[in-house]
Amino acid sequence: MVYEFRLPDVGEGVAEGEVVKWLVKEGDEVKENQPLVEIMTDKVNVEIPSPKQGIIQKLMAKEGEVVKVGQALLSIEEKGGQPTVSASERTPVGTKPSPPTSAKTPTIAIPQEIPLTTPPQASRKPDEILATPATRKLARDLGVDISVVQGTGRGGRITDEDVQRFKQLGRAVAAVTVTTSGPRGVEERVPLRGIRRKVAEHMLKSKNATAQVTHVDEVDMTEIVHLRERAKTSAEKRGVKLTYLPFVIKALIPALKQYPYLNSSLDDEKEEIVLKKYYNIGIATDTESGLVVPVVKDAEHKSITQLGLEIATLSEKAHAGQLALNEVQGSTFTITNVGGIGGVFATPIINYPEVAILGLHKITKRPVVKDNQITIRDMTYLSLSFDHRVLDGAMAARFVNAIKQYLEDPKLLLLETD
Amino acid sequence: MTQKTEAAVLGSGPGGYVAAIRLGQLGKETILIEKDKLGGVCLNIGCIPSKALIRVAKLKQRVEAAKQIGLEVTGVNVDFAKVQTWKQSVVDRLVSGIDYLLKGNNVKVVKGTGKFIEAHQLEVKSLSGTEIIEAKDIIIATGSRYFDLPTFKFNGTTIISSTEALSLQQVPKKLAIIGGGVSGLEIGTMYAQLGSKVTVIEMLDQLLPGTDIDLVRIVERSLRKLGIEYHVKSRAKEYRDGKVYATLEDGKEGAFDADKVLVTVGRRPNSDEIGLKKVGIQTDPHGFIQVNKKMQTNLPGVYAIGDVVGPPMLAHKASKEGIVAAEVIAGMNSEADFHAIPGVIFTDPEIATVGLTESQAKERGYDPIIGKFPFTALGRALLAGETEGFAKIVADKNSNLVLGVHIVGAEASDLISEAALAIEMGATLEDIGFTVHPHPTLPESVMEAAEAAKGKAIHILQK
Repeated sequence: MVYEFRLPDVGEGVAEGEVVKWLVKEGDEVKENQPLVEIMTDKVNVEIPSPKQGIIQKLMAKEGEVVKVGQALLSIEEKGGQPTVSASERTPVGTKPSPPTSAKTPTIAIPQEIPLTTPPQASRKPDEILATPATRKLARDLGVDISVVQGTGRGGRITDEDVQRFKQLGRAVAAVTVTTSGPRGVEERVPLRGIRRKVAEHMLKSKNATAQVTHVDEVDMTEIVHLRERAKTSAEKRGVKLTYLPFVIKALIPALKQYPYLNSSLDDEKEEIVLKKYYNIGIATDTESGLVVPVVKDAEHKSITQLGLEIATLSEKAHAGQLALNEVQGSTFTITNVGGIGGVFATPIINYPEVAILGLHKITKRPVVKDNQITIRDMTYLSLSFDHRVLDGAMAARFVNAIKQYLEDPKLLLLETD
Repeated sequence: MTQKTEAAVLGSGPGGYVAAIRLGQLGKETILIEKDKLGGVCLNIGCIPSKALIRVAKLKQRVEAAKQIGLEVTGVNVDFAKVQTWKQSVVDRLVSGIDYLLKGNNVKVVKGTGKFIEAHQLEVKSLSGTEIIEAKDIIIATGSRYFDLPTFKFNGTTIISSTEALSLQQVPKKLAIIGGGVSGLEIGTMYAQLGSKVTVIEMLDQLLPGTDIDLVRIVERSLRKLGIEYHVKSRAKEYRDGKVYATLEDGKEGAFDADKVLVTVGRRPNSDEIGLKKVGIQTDPHGFIQVNKKMQTNLPGVYAIGDVVGPPMLAHKASKEGIVAAEVIAGMNSEADFHAIPGVIFTDPEIATVGLTESQAKERGYDPIIGKFPFTALGRALLAGETEGFAKIVADKNSNLVLGVHIVGAEASDLISEAALAIEMGATLEDIGFTVHPHPTLPESVMEAAEAAKGKAIHILQK
């Protein structure tokens, strides 16, 4: 018996995923629950385990191809099976997904089996595909399943352009790195894949969907620097390498509470601003494969050390590419820190659909006039990009003032409850 | 001795040798295994030899008929032994051509009978010994062979297969043919034209089973003109004392004189003696190897193409499948996704078809319209003195999409490629009708049939 294994629903409204890497090849013998493929959903990679023991007959997606939930990934032959059906006989995209589950670990186990005898539902029969042999070949070469392409030619004929457009929509992509000779010399073409592609999509969406403005202020971090110095040793005993981030989060939470519009999102459809009474702080993290944003959930209930520990764990996972879906979803406000690398300040792009993002920068000793004296203080800049549709510059400035006040005088935080 | 190679092809028929050439073109180190002669059945004992003899027979018939147009030739004499020599020279030339192409593409030919001993190992036995060929990828292209009947066992002299029928040194005086399919009628027509008294006995209810009966009617008429006696729904029982005894349609018993009995009742896949079971390659109950559109069997790295994977058993299908398999091996994304595979029958007149018949179109849910154009209205057919037949086009009424083209008539085999292209390209009736066809030629029939489907043919009245 041969089973066609389809991309299961990995939960959290994920509708599609990109095949990042096949962990098996055609002809391999696999055990039940053996990881088959690494799939990249909106933000994280998940390994999909095998629902069956058997032999991999056919991989139906290329690395780099985006597959929808319910779309065939591969066929597995159990003992005493029959050969696979061909790709063009595949059941199309959009078949019934399995029930959602919450993914706690990078590996999810929702095997879904559909016997190959299931007749195709929506896709046309191969001989009803109105496309020339050359166009059909083009589709194969581009990794596009022509049976789901809408033809725009006369009488619904699928043209080369239709296939190209389908590919460009990012719905089915096969790409290879090629070095070619451009007009001005050698060029390398690197396929836009994985996290890079997701970052590209998200950033553009954010820029297109919002009216972004950046407000910058400078903050005296001397007190925080001292505080961190003192707390560092005790934290280390608990196995936490304390950075400035937990302190900033601590200062951020009461500010967000005072200015709830900063912890909101805009429901365009209903024309309502959604003020969130929970504080999930996204931490923009630079990894080898690109930017990911793990989320510290319910930050308002966590101590400095707890925050430090959690950030360290998330960061480690981010670098290892092991973040689970629920660890990158649900943030209400995001912090990005480029201080470790350099620069004066940046104008970060909002992590849409949030309405603001706080940029942290390097802390340097600078001469500052204080009480009519020039003194040396630990100074930094804070930059806040916000969505001007939801709030105005005055509120943004007041919000930054609030954060600044807590950072410059951390004792004030004692006055705040969680 | 064990030879290792990247790819091995088992069988050098029109599927296997084409696959090997394409593998060579794509830079794969390839070994082609053949137990007999390069080119397989098609080149050596099938399509090519039969078409050679058919050409001679047809030419003789045309020369004899030429006195009607003022060209009188007397004393047409067939030196059949010489015809056979010429036929063999054509075959030899084609075989050496394949040899040349294989060498030029760095394909190594190993002579011997191969079978699987491991998933990626073939044992090849020949007179000079046994060797093992180990290949990462293997294409099975072992083709098919005819079979006989329990009551008509081949004996090589009187009860014969098509192989012997195409190698006779004399034209048989009386030839009985069991099986009125493609081979039977092609060879029967040929020998009738060369002077044999031919009788055809077919078990099913029509000659050329599976072919549109409209087309078959035209061929039947020509068979009768040639003096061929045929019986459908009839069962041949035995061959005794120079006579074939049969139970005929009406229940009556018949006895037909025959000095040769040709049995053409079908072909079976050569999948039973190549060790498929041992390595677990799956076949269907008829013995056809099961493959997907990339010609992959259930065993990774093993492909199968041509007759051995199932009907239609046609050389050109095998060749295309061979190309697909070779390209898949070379990492290309090829698939056998043909919309239609043309079929040709070299009777006189010929039959050629591609795509759906009217009834098949209805079954698929189309609302078919038909355009038909007779060869009697075709200048070129009149000039050739071959006015029997017509071109028929089946299209979808709503979209005018061409679904099938069916031709019976002069040179139908050469007319069908245009229709095959039309179907692959998703052409409409207008596409064919508006394409300028040169005059006076036989392909005008296809153009006119397309116009006729819309009631607009010029050279017939459609009121």
